[in-house]
Amino acid sequence: MVDVFNVVEAIALVPLVSFLLVLALGNRMPKKGALSGIAATGFSLAISLLVVLDLATGGEVYHEELFTFVAGDGAGVELSFGLLVDPLAALMLTIVSLISFLVHIFSLGYMNDEGEIGLRRYYASLSLFTFSMLAFVYSDNLLMAFMFFELVGLCSFLLIGFWFREAGPPSAAKKAFLVTRFGDYFFLVGVVAVFATFGTTAFAGDHSFIVEATHVLEPDATGEMNTFLGLGEQAWITVVGLLVLGGVMGKSAQFPLHTWLPDAMEGPTPVSALIHAATMVAAGVYLVMRMYGFYALSPTALGVIALVGGFTAFFAATMALVKQELKQVLAYSTVSQYGYMMLALGGGGYVGAVFHLTTHAIFKALLFLGAGAVIIAMHHNENMWDMGGLKSRMPVTYWTFLFGSLALAGIFPFAGFWSKDEVLFETLQHALSGEPLLLVGYAFGLLAVVMTAFYTFRMVYLTFHGEPRTDTAASPEPIGWSMKFPLVVLGALSVVGGVLNMGVLKDFIGSENLFLKKWLEGKTISGELGPLSAEEYHHILESDFAAGYEVTELSPLGPGALALVLGLVGLGAAVALYRAPEPTPHMTKLGRIRTLLMNNYYLDEFQVWLATGVTAPLARAANKFDQSGIDGVVNGAGSVSMFTGERFRRIQTGIVTNYAALLSLGLVLLLLVFGFLGGWF
Amino acid sequence: MTDFGTLPDWAALGPALALGFTALALFVADMVYPKRPQRELFAGISVTGGLAGLALSVWYLVAGTGQAESGGAIQLFEGTLVVDGMSLFFATIVTSVVVLVTLASYDYLVDHPHQAEIYSLTLLAATGMVMVGMSNSFVTAFIAIELSSLPSYALVASLKENRGSIEGGLKYFLIGALSSAILAYGISLVYVSTGSLQFGAVTEALSGGVGGILGLGIVMILAGFGFKIAAVPFHFWAPEAYEGAPGPVSAFISSASKAAGFVILFRVFVDVFPYEVVEGTVDWVMAFQAIAIVTMTVANFAALRQEKVKRMLAYSSVGHAGYVLIAVAALTGEASGAFVLGSGMVHLMVYAFMNTGAFLFIALAEHWGIGRRIEDFNGLATQAPFACGAMTLFLLSLAGLPIGGGFFSKLYLLIASVRADVALLAVALVLNSVVSLFYYTRVIKAMWVEDPSDDLEIESQPVGLYTALALAALVTVLLLPGFGIAVEFANTAAKLVVP
Repeated sequence: MVDVFNVVEAIALVPLVSFLLVLALGNRMPKKGALSGIAATGFSLAISLLVVLDLATGGEVYHEELFTFVAGDGAGVELSFGLLVDPLAALMLTIVSLISFLVHIFSLGYMNDEGEIGLRRYYASLSLFTFSMLAFVYSDNLLMAFMFFELVGLCSFLLIGFWFREAGPPSAAKKAFLVTRFGDYFFLVGVVAVFATFGTTAFAGDHSFIVEATHVLEPDATGEMNTFLGLGEQAWITVVGLLVLGGVMGKSAQFPLHTWLPDAMEGPTPVSALIHAATMVAAGVYLVMRMYGFYALSPTALGVIALVGGFTAFFAATMALVKQELKQVLAYSTVSQYGYMMLALGGGGYVGAVFHLTTHAIFKALLFLGAGAVIIAMHHNENMWDMGGLKSRMPVTYWTFLFGSLALAGIFPFAGFWSKDEVLFETLQHALSGEPLLLVGYAFGLLAVVMTAFYTFRMVYLTFHGEPRTDTAASPEPIGWSMKFPLVVLGALSVVGGVLNMGVLKDFIGSENLFLKKWLEGKTISGELGPLSAEEYHHILESDFAAGYEVTELSPLGPGALALVLGLVGLGAAVALYRAPEPTPHMTKLGRIRTLLMNNYYLDEFQVWLATGVTAPLARAANKFDQSGIDGVVNGAGSVSMFTGERFRRIQTGIVTNYAALLSLGLVLLLLVFGFLGGWF
Repeated sequence: MTDFGTLPDWAALGPALALGFTALALFVADMVYPKRPQRELFAGISVTGGLAGLALSVWYLVAGTGQAESGGAIQLFEGTLVVDGMSLFFATIVTSVVVLVTLASYDYLVDHPHQAEIYSLTLLAATGMVMVGMSNSFVTAFIAIELSSLPSYALVASLKENRGSIEGGLKYFLIGALSSAILAYGISLVYVSTGSLQFGAVTEALSGGVGGILGLGIVMILAGFGFKIAAVPFHFWAPEAYEGAPGPVSAFISSASKAAGFVILFRVFVDVFPYEVVEGTVDWVMAFQAIAIVTMTVANFAALRQEKVKRMLAYSSVGHAGYVLIAVAALTGEASGAFVLGSGMVHLMVYAFMNTGAFLFIALAEHWGIGRRIEDFNGLATQAPFACGAMTLFLLSLAGLPIGGGFFSKLYLLIASVRADVALLAVALVLNSVVSLFYYTRVIKAMWVEDPSDDLEIESQPVGLYTALALAALVTVLLLPGFGIAVEFANTAAKLVVP
């Protein structure tokens, strides 16, 4: 049998080839390059699945250095490019290529059949996007990850601004680019800090920066690192971790850098699905997972992650409550769900976070593609109050969308129930042993459960139930197979996805049947996963020199039931309020609170004010100082030099007797000075 | 490692002899063809002679003649001449410049009525310069200096129809005469105090105490050498002479003659009047520090406002004397003397090529007759991109940018002054380099950025001048990667001189 790892590079490279092909020949290719993209991502998916199969049946982790820019030779900095395919990366590769594959197919209906122009640009960007994300996922060091992280950002800029002739998209693209870039500055400084501290940015291997950091903190400290600013070792690790976290918060749209994501809805809907489910936004959280062993060393960093995550989960959910546009609701729900993942990571729930990332990718892609189908049917009208009654007119979309919604709301037995429960349970487990930050995060998470269920079903009822409220809704445009196929695949996965890790029923089915946990602990591969395994992460988390978390043993059934009940309460409320042939806009009763929520807590205005009210005057002042102060000094130095030059030039009179006199005077002066100094007289 | 053992000791004077006999051969050739100048013949003899001198110098230098490993310096004529690493290093510099300048003269002198005279005077002056490096007594030193100076005066004034040339030559001669008098007087005072003129004997006599008379003599000798290297305030002749002289002669004097001044200055002050011995009477390190800083500053600032390119280069050349003076001004004993002195020597080596190249470009411009002001160079690169590229290289290297060897040699001088704990020198070096960058780029900008005037027309691309430019540019660039080799030779040579 051919070793699948011989072709593992191709997972990312084939989409890159597709990108180049489409870029060069797109207009002459069938479907303007869509088929090439589908073939490429299909290939990536196939290889990824083979890799997963291999790792699940006793394969080995693939870690290969491809080439070296700067060889450190044991001292100094080493820059290299390499691939790391461990269970986490393999899982992520599969998710990314699967979603991208389905999005490509969906685009056939959403873009090609609608007669959009600029398709070559669209499919080229889509392929490049997929390539960047896949390459980011299997990067074996932080610097390489950073490069592809940035490329992912660039591609999302290109795709969000796809309809650049309209007013909204270019500005949304710019906003997405700038806000994430703001976070990436911290990330870049973090990368440099990791280099300066450890001399390497490798994720894996015996001398990865994660292992080095662990060795430094261990009681019998064998590792070495440089610290700066006079900080202690753990404090410095916290600083570095938080710097990298800046990039994560930008990309994964965590408070307060979440503002770009809802605006990013201006892009084509399939792109939104890709961004939200598998690429751009997932990149941030994935980065934390990739270097989780490093974060596990710092209780402060973990606390910050948990608190930011929990708060974002709650905060974004409140805004989703009142939105009127389908995609807006979904956008805020994405922000909120990534908050859950961050909460889990901060709360020591590595497996839960990976699990939620996986299920969320599936059901969020499903919801966005479903929304895309509705938008096509509604001729690009996204306002839910103009819909209604679509249930009977587009049944495939309705049923799959419903499955996705049930998963999002966390209703048993859909995929989202299991993963969200895992997130909350693992956080609670660590929170109860005296971690107040985690407890606060957990409380936010629980509140968000109610609201998630509520806004999800408000969305479902307004869109699909009741009587059609407009003529378009009464006779929607039919959608083709290319849009239905991805919906059905994802709908099926949303129903059964929970099988991966039914943590709530651990006591009944037995720990050995928690597949994802076993997978991440490296129990399915031959050899040891070592410092990259979930087991090792838990070991570090619970070590006193690191985070020092303790586990309170409790049955998962109770918290699971609590989450389910809360979800059902939210669902029930939504059904009660909006289950009418002509639902009334109840949210208007909230009055000023609604206005506040509709305006997203005026955060956008606040950020604009930060830019124009604080940064711009500061910049003007700096400019003024530069113009008058610095330039003044520089110009002044120039004029003084010129003046002096003129004087010195005049010494040369052209009269030779003057020269002779000056020469003699100079000599006499020298004689006098040195005669005096040397005591000749 | 060498078969030099089979050659008699006098053969060590080979470089000087080669140049001297070439000059005589030129007289003979001129006698054979008194009426019709034989351009090819005269230039051929001169270039061959220069190459022979260069080959001998490099051969001896590489073979280790007169170096520590082959039995130390070779003393000749009862110790009045000496051949060691330093004299050979400077012989290499002088002969290299001779080759470049004679190559360029082939085209420059195309219509000149007295070509053989110019070639032979150049070679005679070069003989003197090489001898300066080999002198080991004040008598030979003085004679060698005069041998290099007297032909130089005539060379500067060799354009007899040109007012500037005559005027420059006359001024050069008058100031030179005054300086020679001062030098001779200084030497006589040294003789009075020590009873000897041979360098070794003078040094020995110093142990008997250093009095005021000797101090007076030392300062006057310093002034005499100051004229030769064109350091402020003994530099007044330089801008006028360099500007008035024919282009190749300016290149020759500003590069080779300056090198000759420095070699005797290094030898006399480092070797004959050791700092530790005479410090109490004449603190010459301090004197050189003051002169170095004043020279750099006055020259570079004066260059800032020059309108004529050649005069600007003349001031830049004075400024470089200031940089090289760091080699003696930083001999405070804090840093390794060999390193400090070697840095100055290697800067002279690099400078010989980049400065000669720059002046030869001026010679080329004079040959084309395009005027002397910076504006006259506007858009020249559209007509002569290769020559302008070479000029750009020389100027940037003179400024100390890492495009030619000038970067490293300035860097070494900077390191030397920092190691010697003379921060002021380091600051002056850096600040003046910045100032120099400004006026060098004015020329570069004129050549590459400005639009050419309508009547700018280049008819010819003279082969001799172009070859010389190309060679100078090649060596300037090669001295960037090859700097390690050059500095190795310089440091080895300096080690033998530094006590």
